[in-house]
Amino acid sequence: MGIIFLLYSSSLKAQTFSASEYQIKAVFIYNFSHFVEWPASSFEKSYSPFVIGILGNNPFGPYLQEAIRNERIGSHIMEVRQFNNVREANNCHILYINLQDPEEIKQTLLAVSGRPILTVGDSPNFLRFGGLVRFFTEESKIRLEINNTVAKSRKLQISSKLLRVATVQ
Amino acid sequence: MQHNPTVFLIDDDTDDQEIFGLAIEKTNVKADCVYANDGIQALEKLNGDESFLPDYIFIDMNMPRMNGQQCLSEIKKIERLKDVPVFMYSTSADPECISENIQLGAEDFIVKPSSISELTIILKRILQEPLLAMMFLMLFLGFSPQRLQAQSELPPVNELKKLSMDELINIVVTSVSKTPENLTEVASAIQVITNNDIKRSAATRLPEALRLTPNLQVAQSGSHDWGISARGFNGAPVASSSLADKLLVMIDGRTVYTPLFGGVYWDVQNVMLEDVDRIEVVSGPGGTLWGSNAVNGVVNVITKSAKESQGLYLTGTIGNYIQDLVGIRYGGQIDSSLFYRLYGQRFDYGETQLPDGNDAGDAWSMTQGGFRVDFLPSSKNTFTLQGEVYGGEEDETFPTEINGQNLLSRWTHSFTETSALSVQAYFDRTKREISNNPFTDELTTADLDIQHQITIKSHHLLYGAGYRVQDDFTTSDDNRFTPAQRTLQQLSAFIQDQIEIVPDRVTVTLGSKFLNNDYTGFEIQPSLRAAWTPDKIHTLWGAVSRAVRTPSRFDVDLTSFQGIDRPDFRSEEVIAYEIGYRMRPFDRVSFSLATFYNQYDDLRSLNTTEGPDPTFYFANDLKANTYGFEISGNILVYEWWRLRGGFTYLIKDFTLKSDNVVDGGELIEGIDPKGQFILHSIIDLTKNFQFDVLARYIDNLPALPITQTPEVDSYITLNARLAYELNKVMFSIAGQNLLEKSNTEFGRLQIPRSVYAKIAIRI
Repeated sequence: MGIIFLLYSSSLKAQTFSASEYQIKAVFIYNFSHFVEWPASSFEKSYSPFVIGILGNNPFGPYLQEAIRNERIGSHIMEVRQFNNVREANNCHILYINLQDPEEIKQTLLAVSGRPILTVGDSPNFLRFGGLVRFFTEESKIRLEINNTVAKSRKLQISSKLLRVATVQ
Repeated sequence: MQHNPTVFLIDDDTDDQEIFGLAIEKTNVKADCVYANDGIQALEKLNGDESFLPDYIFIDMNMPRMNGQQCLSEIKKIERLKDVPVFMYSTSADPECISENIQLGAEDFIVKPSSISELTIILKRILQEPLLAMMFLMLFLGFSPQRLQAQSELPPVNELKKLSMDELINIVVTSVSKTPENLTEVASAIQVITNNDIKRSAATRLPEALRLTPNLQVAQSGSHDWGISARGFNGAPVASSSLADKLLVMIDGRTVYTPLFGGVYWDVQNVMLEDVDRIEVVSGPGGTLWGSNAVNGVVNVITKSAKESQGLYLTGTIGNYIQDLVGIRYGGQIDSSLFYRLYGQRFDYGETQLPDGNDAGDAWSMTQGGFRVDFLPSSKNTFTLQGEVYGGEEDETFPTEINGQNLLSRWTHSFTETSALSVQAYFDRTKREISNNPFTDELTTADLDIQHQITIKSHHLLYGAGYRVQDDFTTSDDNRFTPAQRTLQQLSAFIQDQIEIVPDRVTVTLGSKFLNNDYTGFEIQPSLRAAWTPDKIHTLWGAVSRAVRTPSRFDVDLTSFQGIDRPDFRSEEVIAYEIGYRMRPFDRVSFSLATFYNQYDDLRSLNTTEGPDPTFYFANDLKANTYGFEISGNILVYEWWRLRGGFTYLIKDFTLKSDNVVDGGELIEGIDPKGQFILHSIIDLTKNFQFDVLARYIDNLPALPITQTPEVDSYITLNARLAYELNKVMFSIAGQNLLEKSNTEFGRLQIPRSVYAKIAIRI
């Protein structure tokens, strides 16, 4: 009796190492930059930055900045940019879409669909709307769902190491 | 690596900014300094860039455009900065002004010192280095951690970046859970043994894994027999088990103590340790949520879901005492929402020694297989079906055949984010057959539990009901139990309301469990718990609870008791008072202290009849008071070295309520060490080499003349493990009980030193 919820409610306070949701997500996004290969055409110049864009509110606090601080992808310095609308997002490499309205998400994904941008989000229908990577939570752990077919069509090569830990569609 | 703290100084005087920067440099704390020239500029920066989250803010009191105090109150309005300590910084200290600022939420007030070195000292104290964390725990000498609150309690992002993808997806996140954290756990003495803790130990079986938590007394009495208890009352060792009967043990939601004697047959409680997610150990009564028997503690073994145990895992062990262990697990996926795993394992253990050095004849073996299927059709529904089959043999002294099967299914459904229903049903059959002194016991259990949780404003309600029917059938040549067969029914219900009195600060939980059993009828087990979390570092909690141990067949049905004029056996009862404190002063250190005072009544006593030909029987003529404390800690000394461990101390004081109680008989109820100490050291020697040690000190145990159990001397023992891990393969050599050729822990048998080699392959 009484055990069922206890099995599912994690006793977090007692656990030694745990992290906040957006810390983990920030580190995942940082890792994506290493486990995904972008076409050379996505960089205007050899010294163009590798851009992680955020559309909508920034839920990461300082974590995403911390994760990429002093990091590079080859010759490209990494930077985080906050976008106010999707038109600004055309030249980023990873786009985290933090919008609430499903219709708006749909339109945003449509707007960037021609470009090699790794779109990342949390909303339930994110992949159905054409997004590439979705975070979801299972048993208090952050899990990934990836639409690899669409990723390939955008010329993004996702490493098997990343696909292995994700649910692949 | 600790992440570099960011310090934000708001000061209109550029000279002061420079001095401040120099002082920061001199602290040798690698901090990033950001400056603003006045309050307006500071607020523009803080409001304009949401990703800017300084770890400390310093504000000059006297500034143009907006003074320091106004600036402070504006900053305190920004939600994401509410936990960032703000220090007021001024040339003069007016007491009234200080208290006003503190009321506005300032952390402290600093008078601008006349020299850089003075300022350095002050800043150093504020920006303490993380390694002091270790010293702090080691010394624990009144050093105030107040200044260190700004240290986030989360691991720095830089540390997380070092994790592999597999590790990342297995990190438990703290803010994700929409359902409230269970206060029963927050306000209780809970310890968690993680999968990694087990992996980094020499444990080969579940009882050995339980040695890793400081709040359990785990004593091996024979090759397959263990006495395991919390807060004392580790009952006398008997054939195939011990009389420890105040611990509730559950494996994936299945209760495994036997109604035959209220204890656990540890020989048949086997899990594949690789697939254990965690073991939660609560010391103290878990009366409200858990069932009966949770008088002194609860052990909750939780295995991974099928989704978390995918792929092929092969393991083999060979050694002197654990002679062999082979295991195989395969986890697969049928479609995107349907996962399964299958496993099988077989092991042989050697024998222990009698006090004269001869073999005790208790070698044994066990073969077990099982499966688990998880179906996750949507985020609203999850289904689990899991089952096991096992069979084993134990040697000579008590030649025994053991076998069993169990099957469990569970459905959870969330109606909304704050309302969820869970239904669980299981079936369990277990049988043991001793052939030389013929005795068989066959127990069949069916159990159904339903519960619902719902959040309404500040109330988190959890309530449920359960029904359990157990059929226990014994046979023996000498008719040990009368009646030989019993069908026991238990109906239970519980309700718990967790109330947030002050959000994130004060929570109170009221609850009770109601139980109807065949022996004593209706039982009520209420509890009141409260937790106060003044900040992210400290939690102070207290609880008062009542719990009962309902009678077992051993208390009531022993044939030798029949015909004696004796009162009906009642439930044993405890009223427990607990006060605890949990602290996490730094990312790398957690510490907990639990103190308890327990008043037991109606404890089982061994009585004799009066007259010339006395016979023995059980009654409820013992009372006891116990008190003690449990300290535990967890320290990440370096990235490559982690220490965990703890100390427990227990005093028991028995009162005999009747002259008929056999003198010294109270020891049957609990043969416990006063103190015990464990220390688990986990070291990554290199990227591939691991070296792990578990040291344990256990105080002496008193002799129990009635059962010819000798005194056990205090002892120190050591387990160690050296492993080499390369990609998918791990080789290890490990030893248990390394300091002695053999060692007596409980009873009279000597447990041999064990050395083994192990290989594990994950594909």
